[in-house]
Amino acid sequence: MGMSIPLLSFIAAACGGGGETPAPSGGGSNNAKPQAGGALRTGIGVQAGALDPVTVNFEAGLTVLGQSGEYLAWSDKNLELQPRIAESWKPNGDASVWTFKIRQGVKFHDGTPLTAEDVATSINLHADPDNGSNALSVFGTVLKKGAAQATDDQTVKVELEAPNGNFPYLVSSDNYNLIILPKTYDGDWEKTFIGTGPWKLDKYTPEVSVTFTKNPDYWDSSRQPVADTSEIKFYAEEQAKVLGLQGGEVDIINNFSVVGGKALLTDPTILVLEVESSAHRQIHMRTDIPPFNDKRVRQAMALLMDRDALVQGLWEDKASLGNDSPLASVFLSTDTSVEQRALDVAQAKQLLADAGAEDISVELRGWDGFEMPDLAAVIKNQAQQAGISVQLNITNATTYYGESVFGESPWLDSSFGITEYGHRGVPNVTLDAPLTSNGVWNSAHFKNKTYDGLVADYVAALDLQNQKKFSSKMQELLLDEVPIMFLYFYFHLGATKENVTGVEKTGMGHIDLTKTGFTG
Amino acid sequence: MRRFLLRRLVLALVTLFLLSIIVFVSAQVLPGNVARAILGPFADQRAVTALNKELGADRPLVVRYGTWVGGFVQGDLGESFSTRRPVWEVIKPALINSAKLAALAFVLVVPLGILGGVIAALREGRVTDRLISIGGLSATATPEFVWAVVVILVLALWLKVLPVTAAFPAGSGPLVQIRYLLLPAICLVFVLFGYIARMARAGTIEALGADYTRTAILKGLSQRQVLTRHVLRNSLLPTIAVIATQAGYLIGGLVVLEVIFNYQGIGQILFRAAEQKDFPLLQSAVLLVGLVYLLATLAADILYSILNPRIRLQGES
Repeated sequence: MGMSIPLLSFIAAACGGGGETPAPSGGGSNNAKPQAGGALRTGIGVQAGALDPVTVNFEAGLTVLGQSGEYLAWSDKNLELQPRIAESWKPNGDASVWTFKIRQGVKFHDGTPLTAEDVATSINLHADPDNGSNALSVFGTVLKKGAAQATDDQTVKVELEAPNGNFPYLVSSDNYNLIILPKTYDGDWEKTFIGTGPWKLDKYTPEVSVTFTKNPDYWDSSRQPVADTSEIKFYAEEQAKVLGLQGGEVDIINNFSVVGGKALLTDPTILVLEVESSAHRQIHMRTDIPPFNDKRVRQAMALLMDRDALVQGLWEDKASLGNDSPLASVFLSTDTSVEQRALDVAQAKQLLADAGAEDISVELRGWDGFEMPDLAAVIKNQAQQAGISVQLNITNATTYYGESVFGESPWLDSSFGITEYGHRGVPNVTLDAPLTSNGVWNSAHFKNKTYDGLVADYVAALDLQNQKKFSSKMQELLLDEVPIMFLYFYFHLGATKENVTGVEKTGMGHIDLTKTGFTG
Repeated sequence: MRRFLLRRLVLALVTLFLLSIIVFVSAQVLPGNVARAILGPFADQRAVTALNKELGADRPLVVRYGTWVGGFVQGDLGESFSTRRPVWEVIKPALINSAKLAALAFVLVVPLGILGGVIAALREGRVTDRLISIGGLSATATPEFVWAVVVILVLALWLKVLPVTAAFPAGSGPLVQIRYLLLPAICLVFVLFGYIARMARAGTIEALGADYTRTAILKGLSQRQVLTRHVLRNSLLPTIAVIATQAGYLIGGLVVLEVIFNYQGIGQILFRAAEQKDFPLLQSAVLLVGLVYLLATLAADILYSILNPRIRLQGES
């Protein structure tokens, strides 16, 4: 809802158990075997709109889609693809055509068998600009309307606009709108929650909760739900969700921030689940106008940032260091041997002196969500070490994003701004849209043909080794050019009561509850 | 009495009509793009254009106004942009929820406030009076979210006697619902007690000093008879007006409490509709809250006229 009620954090903290011992954490819940049966209760964020696979763009929506819906593949917490509706996939020689073998014997919740035609129709639904799909931000330059075709009962062929070695990720759970729907789907998903997943709809009260029961016809014997039912409750405010967990109203919460849920980190009755993700903030510096049109000024700004202090102070170490490129260490293709940029005030001052820019004054734009206002304040203070004067202009999100097109958006037009980016399983979108010459989110107005070429090469590369080669070059180039500062990549945090086990989370915000149950 | 009521009703309808125009114009001047608000800042511009077209948000203002008014007078509130459900389907459960919370708060705070006010008046100038007056005023001056923090902390998390949120399970019985609603209702009691007690105290003090009270005492009525038959009937007039003005606040003005207690009332619906530029929902919700205000005021007027015939007669003359 975007409302901030800081006092509630105080309550949560007051009831944090007072323990000094950090709660167990580390990517999964406790390792005990769950007892069969029981009713799971999970708290998630606000239902910010209709639960429509075409338009959903909020985390609570994708969490619900992933319960009764299924994707061609599941992008797991290690960013590896697990086959689901697609049994397997293969590209042609240059990765411009991908062929998916569709699993047989899968049924929708209404008993209709799933066919290759359903899969092709689902992909085409999102690729058609006339349908207003949120997934078009991923498919926009990748697929044309009608790109997917069912060539027989078991096969779907997808022709791409350009070679793309990571295409299976773009039709996996990473592109969360893309649950496979029946070809007859008419846009009324909230009435049925139709899908092929392990959970099927029992009861739905809009904006309040949705309860699922086991799908008796679920195809995967290894993923039959342990619990009898699973209720998902929507919370308008993060602190209410945190209190809901502490007060025993829910057993699991799928997501909390360090800012809003710090108490959970030290509550001995809570198990914290953390998954490394590629979610981050981008601090763009416009490369085409002063003061950041001189590369040395951008480099100086990046050298003034104390990333270790940011990760510790803003994230309680629940984040990894950023190195001024979207290639987070979590990505399989990232070259982790590239030297990490570190705080160096003396070098920053020298660079500013060389650039004749010792008396800079610049406005930093941003919006009042998450930890971003705190981040802006830290940037202001750290820039001051070298005499750079930063004036903060923090507004609401609507003002900051404006119309989201160049010329009508402080996000895309400002010299210096902070923008939030969510997790992706592959860096294709974040390498392209905010950084290539024609990128639609290129707030830094960065135009570099070498970089554009490297992105095209990376996207087309089929094997990890080649992707790593191009990643390494892009990382070095961006580290030198610094159109955008990437200071950290924060973890996706969730939490459960201590008697809950078997929760699988992903950096995207999906939560797999099939193996979840109570230990006693 | 009939003419008085008719006049009040006509005035209420005129106010509602004016409100509808203000609501529509205000909703339209909110900056931003409907489809962009729904799909988010990173959505492809083609998707935004397509969705605006589908929702009819790209049509000229006059056409949209005509459609809205035409539908509204026929009882069709239209379809919510963000939830894609009929507006009435979205508003109805929220309105019922708000009414439940408001009713519980009223049931608790009205007798408590009046009782507190009367006791303070009877003990005017003494410790009890000061305790009630200053205590009530302090409680009222404290923001509702602070009370929310206190009651959650004490009653839900430390003593564990009440649930942390007000979102009662679907299908639960009246007693369970009341249990869930008690925490926000207690906050409202703190917030409203001071207002009501203060008005009841002032009215009672005035009535106690009036000639008719002295006459009643002199003719030998017991203290209870004097209080119930003469003092209370007169002292409650200003209190009723205060209570009526709080009805609208209780239905549509509890955004913060509803968010803290995760309760789906009309306040949250209004807030989200404004945030998401969901004009059909926003317009109808504001109008309905306005209607509640008008009805509460009308009810207060009627009650006022029943208790005080002079008002009714003035209206008729």
